[in-house]
Amino acid sequence: MGGEPDGAGPTAGAEAGAAEGPKTVHVRCSNGTKFSLEVDLAITVGALKVMLAERCDIPADQQRLIYKGRVLKDDNSLDSYGLQHDHTVHLVRGAPASVSAAPPSGTIPASTPGPALGGLSQTPPGLQQTPGSNPAGLGAFGFPNFGLGAGAGAGAGAGGFGMGLQDIQQVQQQLMQNPNLMREMMNMPAVQNLMNNPDLMRSIIMSNPQMRDIIDRNPDLAHILNDPGTLRQTLDAARNPELMREMMRNTDRAMSNIEASPEGFNMLRRMYETVQEPLLNAATMGNEAGGDLTGNPFAALLGGQNTAQTQGQQIPSINLSNTTNATTGTAGAGATTAVPNTAPLPNPWNPNPTAGAGAGAGATPQTGATPLAGAGLTGLRGSAGLGGLAGLGLPDFGAGGGGPFGVDPAMMQQMLQNPAIMQMMQGLLQNPQYINQVMNMQPHLRSLLSSNPQIREMMQSPDFIRQISSPESLQQMLQMQQAVLGQLQGRQPTGGTPGQPGGTPAANAALPDLNSLLSMFGGLGSTFPTNTTEVNTIPPEQLYEAQLSQLQDMGFYDTQENIRALAASGGNVHAAVERLLSHPG
Amino acid sequence: MTSSGSPVIVPRNFRLLEELERGEKGIGDGTVSYGMDDGEDVFMRSWTGTIIGPNNSVHEGRIYTVKLFCDKDYPDRPPSVRFHSRINMNAVNQETGVVDPRHFSMLAQWRREYTMETILTELKREMASPANRKLQQPPEGSTF
Repeated sequence: MGGEPDGAGPTAGAEAGAAEGPKTVHVRCSNGTKFSLEVDLAITVGALKVMLAERCDIPADQQRLIYKGRVLKDDNSLDSYGLQHDHTVHLVRGAPASVSAAPPSGTIPASTPGPALGGLSQTPPGLQQTPGSNPAGLGAFGFPNFGLGAGAGAGAGAGGFGMGLQDIQQVQQQLMQNPNLMREMMNMPAVQNLMNNPDLMRSIIMSNPQMRDIIDRNPDLAHILNDPGTLRQTLDAARNPELMREMMRNTDRAMSNIEASPEGFNMLRRMYETVQEPLLNAATMGNEAGGDLTGNPFAALLGGQNTAQTQGQQIPSINLSNTTNATTGTAGAGATTAVPNTAPLPNPWNPNPTAGAGAGAGATPQTGATPLAGAGLTGLRGSAGLGGLAGLGLPDFGAGGGGPFGVDPAMMQQMLQNPAIMQMMQGLLQNPQYINQVMNMQPHLRSLLSSNPQIREMMQSPDFIRQISSPESLQQMLQMQQAVLGQLQGRQPTGGTPGQPGGTPAANAALPDLNSLLSMFGGLGSTFPTNTTEVNTIPPEQLYEAQLSQLQDMGFYDTQENIRALAASGGNVHAAVERLLSHPG
Repeated sequence: MTSSGSPVIVPRNFRLLEELERGEKGIGDGTVSYGMDDGEDVFMRSWTGTIIGPNNSVHEGRIYTVKLFCDKDYPDRPPSVRFHSRINMNAVNQETGVVDPRHFSMLAQWRREYTMETILTELKREMASPANRKLQQPPEGSTF
């Protein structure tokens, strides 16, 4: 480096060069490497290229030198471009001057990474390298819910994996519209596992084209979404009602502060227009697109978070425990999604027992002739899928189909409690080959797995399987079955005998009770204290005792009205007051 | 998303001088280059940038020249950006080469912290976006 520029001097500027002396110029290659050399600034660009050719394996005629945003021409001298000591010139491999653009990458010697291998792409990972539109990526997220979805779904039993997989869309819709579901889901250990994996979360986000679009256009958002901390916080918030409430309050306060300051409102408006609208659009677009509802589970989240500014966007419609059932539910009326929701934002996280119960009892349109027991069973089966037991437990559970299990639950329970059977099942579950086999047998599952290595990993993790197959878990599942069956029997509106549900078409009777089902499954493997089943039976007067007395104190004396308002607002007094005020009488 | 301005507001000249130095010294991620067109212009308005076409796209290996014009309200308002090299890209007007702020959100949502370098980098990223990555391009070297 310290050497004299031997090859440098041939051109005219010899005297000038002598006067100025060699200067250090940095050269930055497109692959990220950098080096410096000392040149006489009077030499031509062409001469410099010859020098560079010795240093960087790019023939002079393929070099493109860029300085100050301009491509340097061979015939001009360096100082004619204003190049000075310590400045940097960019070097790019271009097409050879004469030959028309041949792709350069092939010709590069392996020793130096050519531009093609470049360190050039310094864009944040995950932005452009979106996992090529991965429809099942959402599945990754939804996967644990498929089972739930099955319970939630229309009750159209499909074989094998318990129909959940086929009803993804429906499930997602429900998820989006039911924050309660969302929360319960988040509480499940399996889901939490997923959440803690930022890569997966990112890929899920990125698998929504609208979302990706926004991120592409808005680097700031990309940062936010790429930050695992933020993601986790968001999800935590979605999971934890307290935190959520706290966040909402903070947001509200901040908003009002901002609004109070001059120009603040305009700023808010701008923010809304530039950030939130597209975000929400992305979140809800899937919904509007109707058929193509590969929508994303974040709709509810986003909707829930951007409370203050949301105008008529889809705020999670709180009490629609089940959209299809919404019309029958008494409470859900105020929260139809189509209408701009001017009602105050009720607390989405409060389980709304009355609404749930109402929907539960309000036997919805029967879906064909699905036998009652079948519904219960498929629901269960699907739910088992949540734990990963799905395919695995299926050979056993599934055998039940609509028949034996439905006919005699007790027998099934006995069978399951039989140590021999349990042992057998555990044996099956602990045999990775068998699990693999089962997984590969299910085309849905297979595609899901192949597109989501994480899930596969999870399914194959011995720990996970052990957890799922532990006697405690099995026991819990049994209890769930019992509970579900008990409910089925209790709820059956036609009053058919529990033992012979065969022809009874009360398929959906159990389904609306999704919430309780969910909470039960939430209990699987974690301690999930609330038991919605119990709550469901508590009369509203008792359940809302505290809130009712508060309302009384505020001067709302009509208890029935108060209860209705509370029920509609999920027990949130403030929302209830708003509701009472906006719907007098 | 916080938008409270930085406590010190750097005046236009200092900002541009700073950018000039960064451009000359090649500070930054090194995938874009930029500098002033006319060193004598005391207002430092007219700039040229180059974007090296991102890998794994039709732009790979190409060099695009972009003209940036920083008016006197520059750091507060975005510069006008125009491609000199012909390029087929969503945000770029095919007649004039002007980058349309409506399709290039960075300009539409301009913030004072943004620099010409960020514009160029963002344009480069835009070239690699799925929407633009595979668009057929005019012959290299043609200009608007």
